[in-house]
Amino acid sequence: MNIDQIKKEFPIFDEKIQNNDLVYLDSANSSQKPKVVVDRINEFYTKQFSNVGRSVHYLAVAATNLYENTRTSVQKYINAKDKNEIVFTKGATEALNLVANTLGQSYLHEGDEVLITELEHHSNYVPWHFLRKSKNIKINFAEINEEGEITLEEIEKKITPKTKLISITHLSNVTGAILPVKEITQLAHSKGIIVVVDGCQGAPHLKLDMQDLDCDFYAISCHKMYGPTGLGVLYGKKKWLEELPPYQGGGGMINEVKKDMISYGELPNKYEAGTMATAQVIAFDQSIKFLESIGIENVMKHEADLVEYGQELLQKNNSVKLIGNPKNKGGVLSFTIEGVHPHDIATILDEDGVAIRAGHHCCQILHDKLNIPASARASVGIYNTKEDLDQLNQSINNCKKIFNL
Amino acid sequence: MNLKELYQEIILEHGKNPRNLRKTEGFNKDAKGNNPLCGDNVHVYLKLNGQKIVEDASFEGSGCAISMASASIMTDLIKGKNEHEAKDIVEDFLGMIKENPELKSEHLNEDEKTKLMCLSGVKQYPMRVKCATLSWHTMVSAFDENNEEVKTEN
Repeated sequence: MNIDQIKKEFPIFDEKIQNNDLVYLDSANSSQKPKVVVDRINEFYTKQFSNVGRSVHYLAVAATNLYENTRTSVQKYINAKDKNEIVFTKGATEALNLVANTLGQSYLHEGDEVLITELEHHSNYVPWHFLRKSKNIKINFAEINEEGEITLEEIEKKITPKTKLISITHLSNVTGAILPVKEITQLAHSKGIIVVVDGCQGAPHLKLDMQDLDCDFYAISCHKMYGPTGLGVLYGKKKWLEELPPYQGGGGMINEVKKDMISYGELPNKYEAGTMATAQVIAFDQSIKFLESIGIENVMKHEADLVEYGQELLQKNNSVKLIGNPKNKGGVLSFTIEGVHPHDIATILDEDGVAIRAGHHCCQILHDKLNIPASARASVGIYNTKEDLDQLNQSINNCKKIFNL
Repeated sequence: MNLKELYQEIILEHGKNPRNLRKTEGFNKDAKGNNPLCGDNVHVYLKLNGQKIVEDASFEGSGCAISMASASIMTDLIKGKNEHEAKDIVEDFLGMIKENPELKSEHLNEDEKTKLMCLSGVKQYPMRVKCATLSWHTMVSAFDENNEEVKTEN
């Protein structure tokens, strides 16, 4: 695999960012876009545009086919059993809200318990908090260990007879811990508990097999997967999506509408009310083809090498403290520098063209637990090289120099 | 170089050893400020005497070098000023951080102006302006006895 060649497929790396070559280490936030994806959006709008699933004219039928082709591609990519288990949303956030909202309407009742973890992004906590307010459900937190991991044992310990649902991240966006989702799901199902997975960080970096994982729901963020913004995917087992009530009402999701009754459409239309992010869906097919052309095993190998290299570099750097040391780790290097606030780190690194994220990364629960207000995070994607991490380390040294460390 | 303008020695020094980082005993005005994007927070305390003059000012909180230095310098120079003078200084400071090339307030002496101008490097970093201004907005809120937390985002 030739990373230089792959990097050339991303037009942003031809740009000078404030006179610097871009060292993009913020892919856990959002990935850059390969030219094929950008071109596909342009091509669709300039040559093929029409709304989908409504009119019978030529363009409408063609656009509908393209839209549905992506659904099939996603189904195959994540090895879902049925095409109708793939629902497009405006993002992973909406996917998780859809699950919480519809389960809240029909499945979760007062006193029921939902188990999440201290690693969760706000988008996998706040939607359950809504149910805590409206339905009086209880939220329990599985706690991280010293390495920043969530173990199967910890999950087992936190399950009570009232636990109805477990909602967990596949890969932590802060510690990088990869959770044993398959084992957790087996355990949960043996106790009649359903499992929701926040796959925002998992989907771009891990091999996905829904039938093997066996979770009930899996939320995907397309813009972190070299795809367009404004688009997410909710995978849901067919029995759940058929059984649960609709989320949003509007055009496209209905079967029959009368003054005194309304019946809803079949899957997947039932969950796709209104005009969807059509161009984004169609372009996302290119993101999947791009990932398939590299091969997810190669992506995983490359990113694991980068993380190992980066971890060693930063461990050797005095006054840099890495957050979490999980055995099974994805492409995230979160750190603090004693005496320098993460925002100052990010500003100083940016001056060298090194783009990282600083803050709590939408994980305030985790930062409270670690007793730090914020952290700096470098995260890798398929286009990153060891030289990028060398530059990161060098810019960190510059930062230490400015702060007289 | 821009970074040198942003991280001047005085900023680094105040950031590292902030003045008045404590809770004023017997304070009679206070307010909280928060930047939800990054989790930075500040709590400003003021003690006004019978003549409505700031007898003591202090703050608690955590944040980057810019925000800590800004709160440190602010609480230092606001002491001995009345509400009207303090608000005039706030307005002058906010104007300078955003666009004005210099400070004009007649309630600031040259030494105070020099200290405040050290924060002017923030101008070139729009994302960091909020770091420098959060404690100032929070102080105004304390004067106004506005019970709502100051937020950098709406």
